Amino acid sequence: MSGVVVAGGAMTPFNRRKDGSGMRDWARAAFFDAVADARLEAGDIDALVVASESDFFTLQLNPAALIADELGLFGIAAQRVEGGGASGHLAVHAGAAMVMAGRARRVAVVGLEPSASHLPGAAVGALYGLSFDAWTDGMTGIDSTSLYALSVQAFMEETGAGQDDFAAIAVRNRQNARANPNAHLPLDIAAADVAASPVIAQPYRRLDCSPLSDGAACVILAGAAGLPDGGAGRARIAGMGVANDRVRLGERARPGRFEAKGVAMRRALAEAGATAAEIGLAEIYDSYSGAQLQALDGLGLAGDVVGAEREGVFAADGALPVNLSGGLLGQGAPVGATGVAQVLACALQLEGRYFGRRVATPPRYALADTHGGVATLNAVSILEAAR
Amino acid sequence: MKYRLTLDYTVPEGTLAPYFDALRQGQALAAQCTSCAATSFPPRPICGACGGREMNWRDLTGRAGVVRRTDTENGAFALVRFDGADGLATVALANPAERQAAGRLAVPPDARPGLWLQLENEDDDHA
Ligand SMILES: [Zn+2]
Repeated sequence: MSGVVVAGGAMTPFNRRKDGSGMRDWARAAFFDAVADARLEAGDIDALVVASESDFFTLQLNPAALIADELGLFGIAAQRVEGGGASGHLAVHAGAAMVMAGRARRVAVVGLEPSASHLPGAAVGALYGLSFDAWTDGMTGIDSTSLYALSVQAFMEETGAGQDDFAAIAVRNRQNARANPNAHLPLDIAAADVAASPVIAQPYRRLDCSPLSDGAACVILAGAAGLPDGGAGRARIAGMGVANDRVRLGERARPGRFEAKGVAMRRALAEAGATAAEIGLAEIYDSYSGAQLQALDGLGLAGDVVGAEREGVFAADGALPVNLSGGLLGQGAPVGATGVAQVLACALQLEGRYFGRRVATPPRYALADTHGGVATLNAVSILEAAR
Repeated sequence: MKYRLTLDYTVPEGTLAPYFDALRQGQALAAQCTSCAATSFPPRPICGACGGREMNWRDLTGRAGVVRRTDTENGAFALVRFDGADGLATVALANPAERQAAGRLAVPPDARPGLWLQLENEDDDHA
């Protein structure tokens, strides 16, 4: 077990900013709120890990140095971590590794992305196309939705999952988001609304897709010895795992299955000394409604994931509540911030102080799952409640 | 603030230069592993099956069968199996209004890299 404590954390709202604020403001807000939540001072932070997916989005190279300066942090270890959609989660892992190695005592992990406000959506979409194999996929104009659509078609054929199942997820995550004051799309919608939304790439419709969002999130990681009260009451990162898959969908033996997630998951479970059955809550990377099912399947969280979905296992009152935050579909997706916010949600749920829809009884373990590409670079963390 | 960035990249193609040269002529050049004979298209410099690092170039017919397709506002895309290749490839469909389940590699528009497939009937095959 890693023993790294999530000492505190905070996030800005995820949405399309219309208040004139910018990413530097969001980073500052998330950081100072997180430091306060950890019952620390900014001067206690001796390392900063910044996650942002693309300089094309931020229009800022060397963002770690810039954000450190913006936060008034000098003479500290700073770095930027990037791994597509998994950037934020990989930054958490990088920060945890620094603590575990004794290279830092208290690390601030700041994820941010101006995915909505800086560029027109079409430009962001064209850039996202380059996050697969730019030479064979991106330059044909194929977009993220189309690649996910081709993948989920295979999943549907193999598992019997249908568009009704996807619509149920699209609705449920938006309904969960309604309790989350930071959510981008807290929508009171029904399956009929999903079916009536325009087709983006068959089988996916507009409401099956997660939005482009602005925002930032921050967690403070430390060893217990570096914290007030030894980090009492705060959740720990018990296990971490990362695994990549083949970039080009067509080269995967089963293009509909997120198999590398299983590799990352087994690694994280082994480190945590836990079993999949002990996971009582999950924040899953639902970039698309169907991707949520593909992820749960790949992670091995249900033998028959479609049957479990239909039985309500993943509902708020089910055996394994998924995406009570709203997920990417409901809470939103400022890429670099996404994984940081997922880890934060898991920690706060285990501590019984989550700001959105809470799990009825905090379980011992919660899972955060994030990926870049079409489950190409997968990061998994298992958080454990304080005992 | 407003800021406009215009970028004009020149990207060397390295090991894959013969593939891109062929692609610009509408020809499918695959890589075949000298150890296990696995054939990759688009080509891989390292064999995806056995990890072998010795590859030979091999001409394919360029014909492919459509395994899955998805249609969008901005065109249609497909997972296809090129004759002679192991595995599938993602392509853009050059004539998305057509519904045939097979086609032939097309010359990429504007000399861009990437794979475009022209859907056609079996009897349109003049190769
Ligand atoms: Zn081989």
